Amino acid sequence: MNKTLLGFIKKELIQALRDPRMKYILFAAPIVEMTLFGVAISNEVKNIRLAAFFGANDYLVRDIYEHAIGGGWFIPARASGETAQDPFELVRSGDADAVLVPPEGGFTRALGRGDAQLQILVNATNVTQAQSVESYMKAIVAQTLADDLGLTPRPPPIKFDVRVLFNPSLDTAIFMVPGVMTMLMVLTTLILANIGIVREKEMGTFEMLISAPVSKSEVIFGKTLPYVLIGMTNLPLLLAIAMLVFHVPLRGSILALIAATVAFVCTTVAMGTLISTYCQNQQQASMASFLFMFPAIMFSGLIFPIENMPAAVQWLSFIDPLAHYLSLLRNIMLKGGGLQASAWHIGVLLILAAVSAAASFRRFRTTLS
Amino acid sequence: MNDETVVEARDLVVRYGDFTAVDRVTFTVGRGEIFGFLGANGAGKTTTIRVLCGVLPPTEGRVRVAGTGYEDGENAIKAKVGYMSQKFTLYNDLTVKENLDFIASLRKLDAAYYAKRRQEILELISFKKGLGAFVHELSGGTKQQVSLAAALLHDPEVVFLDEPTAGVTPAGRERFWALIRRVAESGKTVFVTTHYMDEAEQCGRIALMREGKLVAMDSPAGLKAAAFPEQVFEFEPIEELSFSRMTAFQNHEAFAFFEPYGHRFHAAAANAEAWRHWRPELEKTFRIRTIAPSLEDVFIRMVEDRP
Repeated sequence: MNKTLLGFIKKELIQALRDPRMKYILFAAPIVEMTLFGVAISNEVKNIRLAAFFGANDYLVRDIYEHAIGGGWFIPARASGETAQDPFELVRSGDADAVLVPPEGGFTRALGRGDAQLQILVNATNVTQAQSVESYMKAIVAQTLADDLGLTPRPPPIKFDVRVLFNPSLDTAIFMVPGVMTMLMVLTTLILANIGIVREKEMGTFEMLISAPVSKSEVIFGKTLPYVLIGMTNLPLLLAIAMLVFHVPLRGSILALIAATVAFVCTTVAMGTLISTYCQNQQQASMASFLFMFPAIMFSGLIFPIENMPAAVQWLSFIDPLAHYLSLLRNIMLKGGGLQASAWHIGVLLILAAVSAAASFRRFRTTLS
Repeated sequence: MNDETVVEARDLVVRYGDFTAVDRVTFTVGRGEIFGFLGANGAGKTTTIRVLCGVLPPTEGRVRVAGTGYEDGENAIKAKVGYMSQKFTLYNDLTVKENLDFIASLRKLDAAYYAKRRQEILELISFKKGLGAFVHELSGGTKQQVSLAAALLHDPEVVFLDEPTAGVTPAGRERFWALIRRVAESGKTVFVTTHYMDEAEQCGRIALMREGKLVAMDSPAGLKAAAFPEQVFEFEPIEELSFSRMTAFQNHEAFAFFEPYGHRFHAAAANAEAWRHWRPELEKTFRIRTIAPSLEDVFIRMVEDRP
């Protein structure tokens, strides 16, 4: 192997692994964050504070309320029952996320008259939560009416035979953990590669590097290969937590997973290197990394489905390495995809890596200007 | 100075956009010479050094260093020279050995040659600390010596030192200059920039730069003779001078040059007749002695006083 390249790899690894803070950032922080995010990040809406207005004889509303609280998604709001005041005020003040408001004279009596309307006031400042409240409440009301009065809605003419594939228990962690893995991998590799190069410029050591008869490729590969290696060491760590703590399966080929990760890490390191050619100090480098990562996470499909985005914006997902790696992780880990099934996304990642590397190469100078 | 030219700059021009940092500079430096480059901040010293080290291609003009130039390839000059830049260029978080190992890898030195050469240069700088010492543990002076050792690791013909003793203690500066003399005695050309006039006195020749132009170039003695063809005097005030009186003397018709030098003043007469006329009057205020001009006087007169 080229002496200069070896020298770079040795020096970068010594610098990265000698500093205890750096060791924490590289290895401990991803483990801690993976565990925390895996537990905390969830699409499921829980702990909705529910209030209900019902009189002593309005047993149906009381049953709906008690069913809701007993179901696990709702918790009682601070004021409810007969002590509650203005329902709108309860939501506005933040004491309740949803309030059940029966018609004048009570819901039970109104139902007896045949014109029952049960109003649900929902705080829709959080749209996701509001939509969940609506669907939860519809189900609970239907169930309560069926249990108490034997009222069942007319059965639909078609009966669906739904089989939930790859995540039969609809466990959020199984869906989210590959996303968290993607975020942590990009965080480590992109920022480190970027800052690693910019720090040399800022400290003045870059001038020493380029005063030696080194080629562009020696400096670029010398500065980036160590971060590819460090990035790859995160894979077994994060995978172990995903499998052991969150019980995310690895149904596909481990070879495909390694190939996907190599392609992804090469892409993010190449993109970090490209960003570094525009930055003069570590402050700029950190800011630029976050400016890249924020939209990259948004367009990756981790938070919002790519299919929901306008067509004009979807192409951003196509050049977003996180979107491809996320698809690869879900395909390989959850659906059991192999190398062949992953080839398209790995190919796109490699093209993105090559384009970023070529642009970095073009912008990188071993002379000053 | 040896007759063999090792560094040559001809009509060198470096522009950054509309700003001309180096403006038609021409000079040569011989083998084994200690060549000093003096000038105020922003005069173009570092830019010139960067061009001569091969890290900054010139806008115009031609440079030849150790028999090679930019026309011979991007790395041709870099391979032949050693460079110690203005900023500290060793890694503080690495040991001395790790730093030297890395520099050896950048220069692609053969393992056996590197081991031998490392021993030689550490002896040259009389490095007493172990190779396992971290760079951040070293004193400022020792760090600069190790930086010089690193710049000499590949045994270059010319070594460029850009303000190598900035921030180093006087004793450390003295040790560093003893080292520079030893390097020059071994046949290497040392090209050095400095702000310290006592250091400049130790150079074989000095070039003075001002706003990108070379304003003078000679030995220290030659520069002094050229800058002060007239007699130079030291004026010691008999009583403390007020600021207004001092300013009045600086604009006095008797003087062509009158500059503070600590509590005293260095002065040169405007002409013999004015000097004869005014001397008796001036002796009522000052004790006057004839002195040889210092390089600082030369610098002030040739670089700072010029409009």
